[in-house]
Amino acid sequence: MTNLPNVLNLKPNRLLAELNAIRAIVIKQWLHTVRYPTWVLQLLIWPLIFPAAYILTARAFAGPEQIALPVFNAATGTDNYIGYIVIGTLIWMWQNIVLWNVGLSLREEQLRGTLESNWLTPVWRFSLLIGSILVQTVTIFFFIAVTFLEYRFLFQIHFQGNIGLVILAFAVAFPSIYGIGITFASLVLRIKEANSLVHFVRGFVMIFCGITFPISVLPGWMKSVSQWLPQTYVIRAIREITLVGADFNMVKQDLLILLGFGFIWMVIGYFAFTFMDRLSRRSGSIGQY
Amino acid sequence: MKNNEIELPKITLRSYLNVLFVIANKDWKVYWRYPINALVNILNPLIWLAPIFFLGKAFSQNGEALGFAAYTGSTDYMSFLILSTAISNFTSAVFWGMGYALKNDMDSGVLESNWMTPIPRLLILIGRTLNSLLVTSIISLIMIILASLIFGFRTTGNIWASVLTLIPMLLGLYGFGFGFAALVMIMREANTMVDMGQFLIDLFSGSQFPVTVLPRWLLPVALSIPLTYGYDAVRGWLLNTKTILPIQTEIQLLLVFMVVMIIAGVFVFRKLERRVRSRGTIGQY
Repeated sequence: MTNLPNVLNLKPNRLLAELNAIRAIVIKQWLHTVRYPTWVLQLLIWPLIFPAAYILTARAFAGPEQIALPVFNAATGTDNYIGYIVIGTLIWMWQNIVLWNVGLSLREEQLRGTLESNWLTPVWRFSLLIGSILVQTVTIFFFIAVTFLEYRFLFQIHFQGNIGLVILAFAVAFPSIYGIGITFASLVLRIKEANSLVHFVRGFVMIFCGITFPISVLPGWMKSVSQWLPQTYVIRAIREITLVGADFNMVKQDLLILLGFGFIWMVIGYFAFTFMDRLSRRSGSIGQY
Repeated sequence: MKNNEIELPKITLRSYLNVLFVIANKDWKVYWRYPINALVNILNPLIWLAPIFFLGKAFSQNGEALGFAAYTGSTDYMSFLILSTAISNFTSAVFWGMGYALKNDMDSGVLESNWMTPIPRLLILIGRTLNSLLVTSIISLIMIILASLIFGFRTTGNIWASVLTLIPMLLGLYGFGFGFAALVMIMREANTMVDMGQFLIDLFSGSQFPVTVLPRWLLPVALSIPLTYGYDAVRGWLLNTKTILPIQTEIQLLLVFMVVMIIAGVFVFRKLERRVRSRGTIGQY
């Protein structure tokens, strides 16, 4: 008969063990994503049809002979209203996807009844969210690439500027977008009315961040609100780079502000997560839905 | 009556009406049981209107959307949009509410027992339609009132004519909903189909813009969707916008749409419902 050891030999290298856990979470999340083949359809069609609704409306506003286009140019600094709308709606879609996928990842585990057992494993709990974010990052990368390619080649929309700078702008926006997602994921563990909350948060971005319009047309109090939202800055920076051909110095300030927001949202996200974790464990509500 | 016989009540028109009332009443209670969801249904269309409102401002000079007026004959683009959004609420109710009506019962595990009751199955859907029509009308009315306060809404036309025009359109839409509900019941996982389906129908029927702005190659798609004429005719009545066809012709098309959709919806529902029963998947989800 084999003698069982008195002490279980857990992996001595804590970091390696955590990385291993994250790898397992990533594989699980990836399998979930690709299990439903409609994700390919969504990846190809949404980047095309969502901006299209606003683009066609803008076309109606421009008029049959584009008589109102100079007015738009005066307000935005560009004639390219299609590119202008594509960039704004792309950032909105990014935040929206993060809210649904990362923001609801823990809630979905809660609904499936697997959150409590996962919570009991000897793994850093934050890894559950990191795994979701990593898978999300891969799919969103394709989503962004598909958006630019579809509008470039199907609609001949000319995006200019340094591609490295565009990638940098997306990269510095990353912590803010995902920080909001993490905060959201933590809140819905307690509040539970997840779908309604997604509508409110993404609605905020839709109203205040200028996804289809320049912030200058907003009333004063709305302009003040928009300045506190990171999406405003990423939309403006990417528009400047891709539509006006701005260089690093021209968008440096927006990128620095985005980094600041990113730091703040990541800290808020982490503390919201640990606070909600402690609260839920104390009240025994982790397994409830 | 012998002691070992149970006398079942006779099926009369009154008993059918009673069933309709019970189903509609149950749906009504369930809907208002989640007040935050109801609030979202009122506020969400307003949220979606905001980017268009400000986009219109970016194209307007001294508050006049001249480009828009050249297409529609009216510079009042917000009334155009608010009206379209109110109609669009019904499309959404048919796709998400009616489309998922049977699927939701399936998920809650009550469909099989409801199916065993001695009432025509179509009646279950008609009962749900009544509640959906009532709730969506209330939500749309509140939305229009709020939108009027926020964005401004003016009608100068004939309200009753527009309501009468809406009736065949809505009946046709709900007729389509019968077939669609059965399709979702058979497919079970249909979120993507419903989400994209509704978005595309709204897009091509010109819920946000006059369909004449569509590229030439897309215009036939818009003109082949009967809802296009519904949106167009109602806006024509209420806002005096230029219509694609004479309003009388658009109403005739809507009447044809209503008859075809109700017949087709009932036919598809019966076919698919029989198929689900023969496969024995009514209780599965």
